Amino acid sequence: MVPFEVRRAHSVEEAVATLGSARDARLLAGGMTLIPALKHRLSSPSILVDLARIASLRSIESTARGRPGLWRLGAGVRHAEVAAHPGLNREHPALCALAAGIGDPQVRARGTLGGALANNDPAADYPAAVLGLDAQILTDRRSIAAADYFRGMFTTALEDDEVITAVEFAAPRSAVYRKFPHPATGYAMAGVFLARLASGDLRVAVTGVAQGVFRWHDAESALAKGHPLPRLVREDLLEDMHAPAGYRAHLAGVMLARALEGFPLGEAG
Amino acid sequence: MRITVEVNGAARSADVEDRTLLVDWLRDGLGLTGTHVGCDTSQCGCCTVHLDGEAVKACSLLAVQADGCSVVTIEGLAARSAGREPGVVSGGLAHPVQRAFAECHALQCGFCTPGMVMASAHLLRRNPDPTEAQIVTALAGNLCRCTGYVNIVAAVQRAALLVRSEGMQR
Amino acid sequence: MNDRAPATVFERAPPQVRFSADTHPARQEDLRLVTGTGRFAADWSYPGMLHAWMIRSEQAHGRLRCVDLSEVKAAPGVRAVLCASDVDAAGFGPLPNVVTHRARDGTPQKQVFMPVLARDRVHFAGQPIAMVIADTPHQAQDAAALARIEVDGLAAVASVGAALAVGAPQLHEGVPGNLSLCYEAGDDDAVDRAFASARYRSTLKVTSQRLIPSPMEPRAAVALHDASTGRTRIHVPNQGMLSMLGYLAAVTRWPAETIEVVAQDVGGSFGIRSGASSEYALVMLAARRLGRPVRWVGSRSDNFLSDFHGRALSLEGSIALGEDGRFLAMRFRDEADLGAFTCYFSTHIGTRNLSVTMGGVYRIPALSMRSELVFTNTVPVSAYRGAGRPDIAYAIERLVDYAAHEHGFDPIALRRLNFVAAHQFPYTTANGTVYDSGDFHRVLDEALARADFEGFSARRLDAERRGLLRGFGVACYLEASGPGGAPKDQVEGVFDREGMLSVYAVTGASGQGHETSFAQIIERELGWPASRVRYRAGDPAHHLIGNSTGGSRTLYGAGSAVKAMCAVLLAKLGPWAAAQCGVSEDRLAFGDGAWTLLPQGASGSSPGQTGNGMPPHAAPSGLGALRLEALVDALIAGGRAAELAAVGEAVSGATFPNGCHIAEVEIDPHTGEAALCNYVSVDDLGKVVSPRLVQGQVHGGVVQGWGQAFCEHAIYDPGSAQLLTGSYMDYPMPRAGCVMRISTHTVDVPTSLNLLGAKGVGESGCSGSLPALANAVIGALRARGIAALDMPFSAARIWAALQEAKGESR
Repeated sequence: MVPFEVRRAHSVEEAVATLGSARDARLLAGGMTLIPALKHRLSSPSILVDLARIASLRSIESTARGRPGLWRLGAGVRHAEVAAHPGLNREHPALCALAAGIGDPQVRARGTLGGALANNDPAADYPAAVLGLDAQILTDRRSIAAADYFRGMFTTALEDDEVITAVEFAAPRSAVYRKFPHPATGYAMAGVFLARLASGDLRVAVTGVAQGVFRWHDAESALAKGHPLPRLVREDLLEDMHAPAGYRAHLAGVMLARALEGFPLGEAG
Repeated sequence: MRITVEVNGAARSADVEDRTLLVDWLRDGLGLTGTHVGCDTSQCGCCTVHLDGEAVKACSLLAVQADGCSVVTIEGLAARSAGREPGVVSGGLAHPVQRAFAECHALQCGFCTPGMVMASAHLLRRNPDPTEAQIVTALAGNLCRCTGYVNIVAAVQRAALLVRSEGMQR
Repeated sequence: MNDRAPATVFERAPPQVRFSADTHPARQEDLRLVTGTGRFAADWSYPGMLHAWMIRSEQAHGRLRCVDLSEVKAAPGVRAVLCASDVDAAGFGPLPNVVTHRARDGTPQKQVFMPVLARDRVHFAGQPIAMVIADTPHQAQDAAALARIEVDGLAAVASVGAALAVGAPQLHEGVPGNLSLCYEAGDDDAVDRAFASARYRSTLKVTSQRLIPSPMEPRAAVALHDASTGRTRIHVPNQGMLSMLGYLAAVTRWPAETIEVVAQDVGGSFGIRSGASSEYALVMLAARRLGRPVRWVGSRSDNFLSDFHGRALSLEGSIALGEDGRFLAMRFRDEADLGAFTCYFSTHIGTRNLSVTMGGVYRIPALSMRSELVFTNTVPVSAYRGAGRPDIAYAIERLVDYAAHEHGFDPIALRRLNFVAAHQFPYTTANGTVYDSGDFHRVLDEALARADFEGFSARRLDAERRGLLRGFGVACYLEASGPGGAPKDQVEGVFDREGMLSVYAVTGASGQGHETSFAQIIERELGWPASRVRYRAGDPAHHLIGNSTGGSRTLYGAGSAVKAMCAVLLAKLGPWAAAQCGVSEDRLAFGDGAWTLLPQGASGSSPGQTGNGMPPHAAPSGLGALRLEALVDALIAGGRAAELAAVGEAVSGATFPNGCHIAEVEIDPHTGEAALCNYVSVDDLGKVVSPRLVQGQVHGGVVQGWGQAFCEHAIYDPGSAQLLTGSYMDYPMPRAGCVMRISTHTVDVPTSLNLLGAKGVGESGCSGSLPALANAVIGALRARGIAALDMPFSAARIWAALQEAKGESR
């Protein structure tokens, strides 16, 4: 690893200021992606801003605010914490199950929601839930709708010195996540988050298959109308030595079919 | 940066380069070579230690991130503490997971073993009666090339039994 | 030597470990390993130690136009940078190639030895170019990044096919067409005649894909040099300190007696830890030049590019059958990828290891093979768990199944028809191998029963109802364990004043539990408790002849020497026992760890006869039994420990473990995913010393086979010859849960090829699992029109095969 300095931030403001002070400063959350990248010299920041001591980033709260089942998860919340949280398990079981399937237990002990979203790996799990649940990404300066947040492979709407502080999820009527894991990494080779939102709208968010997470609109409208499910057709399908594009597209369909098993479709919007 | 970490029950302080990995500080700084480095993509789990009670990969943490925290390594898992004194109480190895691994032939070359033991010990603290599937999930972050895993899963089941039947507190 | 490590190599005696009666005795080494107090190569540390990092070629093939290390040398903390000129000035040789063969017409193999560091050409991505030595590992790594290396790239070839193609770039002078050796064995004419007249013929080409062996301990080395004595100590993983010493001496050309190889624990070997690699010689040179200890620790990604790779064979088998299904002939046309250089054992894989058990468990009157060993711009290949023998076992069993289905024979009946029958042993195969013993029918019968073959069709139907494809795969394999290169195996037993018996031998363990097996042999032979035995591998003070671990031979090879040592010891103790009892030696019988008095006039056991199976005779008159342990303790107390030293030796050649493995898999056609439902192994291993250790070896071999069958594949980009699978991110490894249950069983068909009557088990798991798993997968897919498919049977590849088969049927 190249040498760098670790600066501990004690508040979000401090983190933003430090990020802004140097062009190559990076945020250190769980480190599950950053530290391996540093070891391989894929990244050479001079400053790491350690967020671990900012307590406000670690909370999980039900915010109600007139919307039943609205939960705010701090950006620093670990996957294992989400997976085990009793309240979330009651109202957001699909989100908890998704978190429980990220990586492995040691990764789940450290990896964070904010880190996963800021990184936006095209095969990560959380983006599917965030997009599928129409979540709001709260930062130090604004609130970004999920639909506007994901901009492509490892690219988001965040500005260079912007820090995610929390993500707000409204509880859906029902939701489920089905993933076909990559044999080497455990990331999604195809992951489908299927949700019937409180509004009654259906959402199908797909990860692992294309340059970034996306909503499968054709499938959503087919489901809404009771039509047969379409095959996935996209220009930007991922292809590598483990799985050709056609296979990934096919897997997306299979994961959706699995997600639909037992899913209550009959409720009208 | 100057850090102070409780390692296997004893406060240890040092000046470390910020980029020093926790595993390298444990091994080279403190001479605790029981925690092993088996890969460089955070996938093998040979470096698993307990940080504030959680099983984590020491290769994916900076030593400075452990400042003010408590770390337990494989050397510290047994009843007696740190360094190169393995704890042995009458009747065998001190920790039920260590004992069960030996009894079930769940290790051959021993390189992955410290990580396996630490991951298993953490599982049993959270879930004293895990199913086979839960054991497999708990070991998803640990690779072994020698045993084929079957005896490792059996060892965790045996350790759970030892904990329950002998009331061993872990 | 000034160091923090204990003065002797080995830790003080571990405390006694006792377990409750119903548990299996633990291995001696387990206490230190489960408590993290073992010592692997990277665990050795010395005051003043420097740290090394390797600079490797990023290009697969090219001329090194410029290697500018000036910025490296000037970087903070750097003490030295070694490159090819340093190695040449030191007079080092290249890495040895241990095995070579000739072509049929006597033409020697075209060998090309790997230089310790690349001189003016690079031949594979990852080839070492320089070593940086600095005060800290970070400094060494930082400095290495400053190297400016310019390579005039040449076209590269990443596969045998590409290397043999017309117009392919030639890697080495004097090796046109990149063909190192065309090896032939057997009788082509007899085979051709048999094929000409055969009623049925089948041909199947299979690939045993290139693998990354990946023992969990990454390669590391620590060297220190004592200028006053001229001796160099090096800590490295190895499979036998004597042979490692030999290789290091061959590379450095330093006298062997000035080199000391010291290793306590080795984190897995599987064949690829036996040779000395460039880094080992370089740390030795650095330590000597700098007068400081030097440590090099390879990262895993570094190891992917510098550990020898495994397998990389393609095997095209053809079989000729008579009207009734009898095998008339078998022919193989094989291609073996050597990688960029001939290193260590690669030649053995594509030659003798394919021919010695060609034919497997069958009577085949005519056999022939031709194998092309080819250079490619890839990491050199060497022996990995079976080194060709699991591969040929795989190819034979795939071919037999394929032929059965192609021509309408029941695959199990076809096997039975062609087995070498129990009464036909010793059996000499058509290419000269002599199988000493075996009972293939018995092994197959037991495996089929345990795998509930009868119930399979019902299980398959049930799977169909659930939308899944289910297959039952049978594999009958035969292995030839290592004959060993050394003329004999020796071990030496020495009692110390504290009452421990130290057993010195050449071969070290890397997980097999040799310490424990040998202790168990001693306890069985002499009644001396296993807990009072310590195993000392490769102690330089004890000059012993023997083989390294390899070819699954240590238990029966060195173990037979242990048994022989027990006999020598017993003979030495005889007179003392007699004196103690006040009788002549012929009045005593030894058994169950004690001498007892024979009744007057009874014919006695002669002194020195081992006690195995000898019951005590009638109750001794007035004397109890004299326990050997008690006698030895008394002698030690009397200061006579040194007189009890005993050397045992044995000559043990190859053995022929064999077995039948059966796998049952279910495939989900929607995703292509295969799940293993059941796995049974029945192995003829002769007499088993340590059932639990044998089970561990079978488990390990089966799961390594699972890895090759379902997910592992070292993939090279065909154009650039870059290793695409450069880490565990792209090279899937078996994890817990991949195989939940392995039902292992052993059968003892006696062998007299060694004192223990044992057959080597280490590599048998791979030989059985590859074909069993493959035949199960093909069996499941056959209903969909798929008769052949290559490993790895990843979900993506199975699904692609299913789609292709669907397309063809429309």
